[in-house]
Amino acid sequence: MRGLLTKTLYEIWLPTLLYGLGLLVVKMILTYILPQIHEALGEVLHRLPFAKTFLTILLGNTLGAEISARSMQAFLYVHPVVLALVWAHAVTLCTRVPAAEIDRGTIDVLLSLPVSRRAVYACETIVWLVSGVLVLVMGLAGHLIAAPRMPDELRPELPRILLVMANLYAVYVAVGGIALFVSALSDHRGRAVGVVFAILLASFLLNFIANFWEPARQIAFLGILEYYRPAQTLQHGGFPLRDVTVLIGVGLVTWLAGGEILARRSITTV
Amino acid sequence: MSIIATQQLSKRYGRRMGLDAADLHVGEGEIFGFLGANGAGKTTAIRLLLGFLRPSHGRATIFGLDCWRDSARIKRDVGYLPGDLRLYPWLTAQRALRIVGRVRGLDLRAAGAELAKRFQLETDLRVRRMSRGTRQKLGLIMALAHKPRLLVLDEPTSGLDPVMQGILASYLRELASAGHTVFFSSHTLREVETLCDRVAVVRQGRVIADETLQALRSRARRTVELVFADEAAATGAAMPEFLHVRHREGHRVHCELEGPAAPLVRWAAQQPLTDVTISPPDLETLFRKFYDVSLDEV
Repeated sequence: MRGLLTKTLYEIWLPTLLYGLGLLVVKMILTYILPQIHEALGEVLHRLPFAKTFLTILLGNTLGAEISARSMQAFLYVHPVVLALVWAHAVTLCTRVPAAEIDRGTIDVLLSLPVSRRAVYACETIVWLVSGVLVLVMGLAGHLIAAPRMPDELRPELPRILLVMANLYAVYVAVGGIALFVSALSDHRGRAVGVVFAILLASFLLNFIANFWEPARQIAFLGILEYYRPAQTLQHGGFPLRDVTVLIGVGLVTWLAGGEILARRSITTV
Repeated sequence: MSIIATQQLSKRYGRRMGLDAADLHVGEGEIFGFLGANGAGKTTAIRLLLGFLRPSHGRATIFGLDCWRDSARIKRDVGYLPGDLRLYPWLTAQRALRIVGRVRGLDLRAAGAELAKRFQLETDLRVRRMSRGTRQKLGLIMALAHKPRLLVLDEPTSGLDPVMQGILASYLRELASAGHTVFFSSHTLREVETLCDRVAVVRQGRVIADETLQALRSRARRTVELVFADEAAATGAAMPEFLHVRHREGHRVHCELEGPAAPLVRWAAQQPLTDVTISPPDLETLFRKFYDVSLDEV
């Protein structure tokens, strides 16, 4: 396992560092400009009432007449760039084996080593889960670096931030699990990435449409963002146990399915 | 005991048979050549042996272990060089030996350095800067460094210059004489002819021959040129059944000899001949016939 981990770390340290730095910078910028956004948002909501629905969907909480400071804090965790970076890291790491290895033909060298496919999968899983924590911690560091410049009422309390981060990590696990499952079925990384992003986009759209259309509301539970509501967590505190359980459950089931498929499938590079 | 044994080993890709009911047995210390044209089924057979592919039918074993179920255990004692070798761009020989050594639980640095010296490979050069031949050398070092009991090489000389091909051939002979087994796939007769003890030929997924090179040589036809004293003698001579006349040029008759040379020599002694030329066994033609899908009988 140590040799496999060394090989995997050689490959993922740079992308992980880049995603982490990206998240750090984005969080710093968002933290820095949050007061300005808060100020401007009142006017935008007054002029464009439709934007309120969009914000409700994004923040995972019903907004009152005025957007509260607590709801505003959730922007740091639902901004599309933040979500895109976290998802992209999960998808990048979780489509490596077998899709990327088959795609570039290196799977032959990897599987010629005396390791089972399950061991390879386990190694990828460890690296994915640990590096996900690192990326999220770098994001938190970005926020903490810029936080002293925020007004007190906009600055989230650390325990509540950690609760939201746990929820975001559960999203990361669910997305990664889905990516591992799709990758196990695929011989081409591009195709696997495309399928996962299509699933995420569909999930996002479902979440959006469910606010306007009753039939979509019936199946809204299928969307990943249905289980990620940072505004509620920041406002009320309390661990979002149900949401985290569902997301980890999705991640676990798809991870198990991906592992079984990888262990049983034929591997061809031609 | 057979190091490699397959029984009715088959792999189907949709409606096409990649390998069809192959029965192969490779003994310890043998250099076994696996010959076939491109797409004949050589790589499919190798991928089945290494547990990359699940057989559609039949079974393959290495060291008596099932190639699909016990793949990881088998590979402790197997070195493999893929036909279309692709390596990680960040890899150097040093890193490769460190990683492969850790996975195998062995210190491969000394053995790897010795091989790198033998194959003239810079150990700190990254794959992204390597030529195809240099990458092939690194692949060989990764496959050989742990001195495996069985070495599976899929077209190993592709990309290597003739000098390196010679170095590899002598290294493989050394391995075989030390009791290691080599399973060697190729589409080039020459390298198999100079290296292997036994050869199997695969065509359209079927193993159509599995014989020692000596047996193949005895089956291969020889070209014979008979020079008679005059044209009348050449025309009037009654040809024995082991000689097949290809064409005549005045007093010269060009034939193909089937079987050993002794009966020809005895027959020629009684003919009004001024000269006889017998070529070595023509394996090239024999293998061309093996490869030619339009010919059903060889």
